[in-house]
This record gives sequence, structure tokens and C-alpha cells, in this order.
Amino acid sequence: MKMRFWLKTYILTLLLFLICLNVGIFALAYYTYSKSVDSYESTCSSEQFYIAKSFERDYAEVKINNGNASLLMISYGEYYAKQNINLAFLRDNEVLYSSFLDDQIISTVEQKNISKSIKQIRVNGSRYIYLSYTFGENADSFTMLYAKNISGFDSEWRSLIIIFTVTSFTISIVLAVSLYFVLKKLSAPLEQLRKTTDIIAAGDYNTKVEVVGQDEFSELAKSFNKMVEQINRQITTLELNAMQKQQLVDNLAHELRTPLTSIHGYAEYLQKAAVSEEERIDSAEYIINEAKRLQNISEKLLNTDFIRNNEITTEELSVRTLLNDAVKGLHFKAEQKLVKLINNAEDATILGDSVLLQALFSNLIDNAIKACVDNGIVEINTIIEDEKIAIIVADNGKGMTEEELKHITEPFYRNDNSRSRVEGGAGLGLALCKQITDSHNAIMKFSSEPRKGTVVTVYFTTS
Amino acid sequence: MAKVLIAEDDPAINNLIFINLKLVGHECIQVFDGDLAIEAAVIEHFDLIVLDIMLPKQSGFEVIKQINNTPVIFVTAKGNLNDKLKGLSLGADDYIVKPFEILELVARVEAVLRRTSNVSDSFSFDDISVDFKSKQVFKSFIEVILTPKEFALLETLIINRNLALSREKLIFLVWDYNYEGETRTVDVHIQKLRNKLGLENRIKTVYKMGYRLEL
Repeated sequence: MKMRFWLKTYILTLLLFLICLNVGIFALAYYTYSKSVDSYESTCSSEQFYIAKSFERDYAEVKINNGNASLLMISYGEYYAKQNINLAFLRDNEVLYSSFLDDQIISTVEQKNISKSIKQIRVNGSRYIYLSYTFGENADSFTMLYAKNISGFDSEWRSLIIIFTVTSFTISIVLAVSLYFVLKKLSAPLEQLRKTTDIIAAGDYNTKVEVVGQDEFSELAKSFNKMVEQINRQITTLELNAMQKQQLVDNLAHELRTPLTSIHGYAEYLQKAAVSEEERIDSAEYIINEAKRLQNISEKLLNTDFIRNNEITTEELSVRTLLNDAVKGLHFKAEQKLVKLINNAEDATILGDSVLLQALFSNLIDNAIKACVDNGIVEINTIIEDEKIAIIVADNGKGMTEEELKHITEPFYRNDNSRSRVEGGAGLGLALCKQITDSHNAIMKFSSEPRKGTVVTVYFTTS
Repeated sequence: MAKVLIAEDDPAINNLIFINLKLVGHECIQVFDGDLAIEAAVIEHFDLIVLDIMLPKQSGFEVIKQINNTPVIFVTAKGNLNDKLKGLSLGADDYIVKPFEILELVARVEAVLRRTSNVSDSFSFDDISVDFKSKQVFKSFIEVILTPKEFALLETLIINRNLALSREKLIFLVWDYNYEGETRTVDVHIQKLRNKLGLENRIKTVYKMGYRLEL
């Protein structure tokens, strides 16, 4: 059965309390009652003793004066009957006098063989205290039966019970109501938490639990909120990753189709057309170039994936050597495009992977050369300050708009399709650079203005 | 003979379309971005534009809005339905997805040209003249009677002239079914065409491929 925690607490607490309360009240009542009965019994006992002594004395006198013993008994009986006391005198089981209303009482008493001890007997719905007293020789061995109706105690007990019941009932209701509200109020944060959990479980990760007070519930709520935030963050990251992956796959499909179309088309052309020697060579060249493009894409993809998935091995490297090597490798290309390469690199030590950093600088300088139009100048500078090293590659080429800058590190992004394809790019260079700088905890920043040029700065923190 | 504008930014693919359309007898102009495509279409009249969607400067979708009444075939790597629908709703006459086969490109170009322009319904070479509408063939002004299949075969060879067609492809194009095994029928019909029209030197047997009408 589904039952709320607070309701369970409520029912159990209420039940336990009511049992204790009622048992306590009734135990107390009963104790009080039996105490008063006891004290009343001892009162009766001394009263009976007093009556017996007084009768014994009077009887002795009546006997001396030859008076009528029966009259004495009657006068005693009638006198005490007024005080709600019944008396009977017996000798040898023969009733000499009785003010008892019911003879049955005497026979009951006889049957029970009552001696001096105090007994309570219930007859016809009335309760009596019975005492018997047997006189000595000088009072002719009478037995005097004493009975006092104590039905008053019964009604007193009944009214006591009624009072206690009413009290207990009132207390119970007050308790039930107040406990209900107190527990409901106390468990409200828990209920709130449960409702929020349901909402979150349904997929709304932006919901928060309200934190009230300083108790365990508020701490739980805080922890819960933290957990939800964490989950939300991770989901966002995962979604972003998935989206980027999807975009990468979409772009990849597109990037692969173009060279594949060319390769397929030229091969088909060679197969089907009666080609001249010149056409044959041209077609073969297209096939080779497009195949190279595919190879280039696959290599760069592998590289980005490799860096993403592997820890890099770092060693101490000279910044100047790295940059000089990169410039040397691109010298020929720069000359062909009539681009002036200026290398102002100063020397400093840097921690990193030599192959990856080499690739990073080569890519950046290569991009700068590609961006140049007429009278191109590519300038390489370094700023070395304590533990920080900044490497700046600046060109005076065609530049980029702000919108283009946002996308340049995305795989397969090209700011100008035709031109960079002519330059032989796969659209992966800067994506690779981003991976390399990320893996070195370096920061790569671009600033650019259309038709004025682009400046790329890579900030390293050695150590 | 039609005049075709090829607007495609990838030089390899642009050239590929160019050489193939030239091969089957079309006159082609090549442009590499959207601006140049519009410029060319304004200056000259074209029977057809083969238009890439992902063009630099202005996309193919923008280009098609700015040219009047010239038939357009979109060529793109984007194969998704939305692009296809968008292209066709903008008035494109057909749509071809990379990577495509040469024969498919040629067939689509031919189909669009037949449907949209008043390209002549006849074709002549040497002393032979073919009327596609009346399905008549004349050699030195004397009608040569061909069976319907022979005529269809000749038409297919003319449309794909200078391109080798495999026997299987010919069966598919002429007899209109996919046929893997027995291709003797093709050989027999080719032989009959050669004999009836004296095309022994024009219809060449290509090693490992099939037949090619060389003009």
C-alpha cells in the first residue's frame, strides 16, 4: 500500500500517544478509585467495630435487667438503617433479626462463610461491604452481620470514567488535528522535493527545488539542486558533442562526395570516351589530385581524433627552432605566391609535443600565406614574459568578417569555398590547430578585418 | 546541339561536366560562382543551366531566382528531401545528386532539353539524317526502314555519342529492362544498324565495354 511518510509518522505517533494517554489516565483513575474504596472500607470496619462494641455493652445491660434482646436488635437495626447500614443478628444459622431488604443476601453471606474479613458483594445490582462480628460468651455468641451499600462508589466511578473519556477524547482530537498540521508542515519540503523530482524525471532539467530553512531537508534540497545542475551540464555537453559529431558527419559526407564524384566521373570518362592523349593525362591528374584530397581529409580527421583521444607527451622545446622549421617548410610556397615571410621569433623554452606544435605553427603560417593576395606579408613575432609565451602570426591578406571568425575552428568550415579549395585545403586545418592548442592548455585567439588581414595569437603558459 | 551554362565551384567537377556535355555535342560555358552565373545568363541566352547549390558568393537558390525562364538542373552533394523540394519549388527542371554517373547526367540534360527547348528534332551526320519525331532515317535522302528497336538503339547511341555504352546499359535503355545474361540481342541489332546504314566505321566495338557511336 502506498502511504506517505508523514502520514505513517502521523498515524503511528497518534496511536502510540493515544494508547499511552488512555492507559495512563485509566490507571490513574483506577488507583484513585481503589484508594478511596480502601479507605472507605477501613472506615466501615471501625464503624462496624464501634457498633458491635456498643451492642455488646447494651446487650449485657439488657440481659442484667431482663430486658427484651429483640427490641434492642430492632432499635439498633432501625437506627442504623437510617444511616444506610443494614444489620442482621444470627445465632446458629438462625436469623434473629434482619434489616436486610433481601434474605438472599444473608444466604449468600452464609454460603460464603464470611468471618471477620471485609468482603464486597454484589447483589441485585447493588454493591455492599459486608462485615461479620461474632460476640463472645457474655453476648450469647451472636453473630452480627454488617452491610453497607456502596453503590454510590459505582456511580462515582462511572462519572469519573465519563469525565476521563471526554477529557481523553478532547485531548485526542486536539492532538490529532495539531499533529496533522505540524507533521504536514514539517514534511512539506519532502513533498516539494518529490514533486520536483517527478518534474525533473519527466525531462525538465531546468527545474530547481526551493531551499527553505537550515535542516536536513534544505541540505538535501541543496544537494539535489547541485546534482540536477551537474546532470544538466553533462546533458548539455553531451548534446553539444552529439550535435558537433552529427555536423562533422554531415560535412564529411559532403566533403567526400565532391572528390568521389570527380574520381568516378573521370574514370568513367576514360573508360567510355575516345580520349586524346592530352585528355587522358588531364583526367588522370584530376583523379590523382582528388584522391590526394580524400587522403588529406582522412589524415587530418585521424589526427584530430588522435589528439582528442590521447594524452600528449611533453618535452622541453625551443620556440625559435619550432618556428624556424615551420618557416623553412613553407618558404617555397611563400616564394611561389610572392609572399614575404618575416620571422622575428625570439627564443624561449616551451613544454609540448614537438610533432604537434610543428603542425600547429605550419598550419597557422600556411593559412596566413593562403590568405595573402597581392604584396603579401606574413610576420611572425613572439612575446616572452616570465612563464608566458605568446606567438603571433599576422598577415595582410583578405581577412575575415566576425561571422566567419566564429566558425573557423569548426571542422570542414571554409570561409570561401572555391578559393580555399583551389588552395588545396580540406577545411580541417584550424580544427586541428584548436585540438593541438587545447591539448597543450594553450589559448588561440583570432582578430581580423576584411581586406586588412588576420592576426592569430597563441598563448602558452609553460610550467 | 544546345548551349549549356555550367555553374559549379569545384574545378574538377565543373570540368568533368564540361568535357562530357561537349562530348555529346553541346556547347558549354563554365563559371565558378553565383555572381558570374547570373552575369553570364543575363548577357547570353542558354538552353540550360547546370547549377550547383553550394556556390560561393550567391547560392544556386539565389541564382535561380534571378534568371528568367532558362531551364535549370541542380547539381549538388546535398541529397536531402528538403533541398530537393526547395530546388524544384523554385522552378528547377531536374535535380542530380553527387556522386552521379556521366550517363545519368547526359540523360537528364537530354530529357530537360527535349521537354523545354525547341532543340531540333532531327540529327544529321555524314550522309545520314535522323528525324526523331517521325522516327524516320534517311541515307543520302533515301529512307531506310528500321524496326522500332533498331531506331531506339540508334537514338540512344546518338544521344550518348562518343560515349561507350555497355551491352547491359543498352538493354536497359533500349529494351527497358535490367538484363544480366544473354546480350547477343544487342550485338545482332548493332550489326543490323551497321549494315543498313553503313556505319561500320562509326559504331565502334569498345574492348570490355560495348559500343560507341563516334562522331
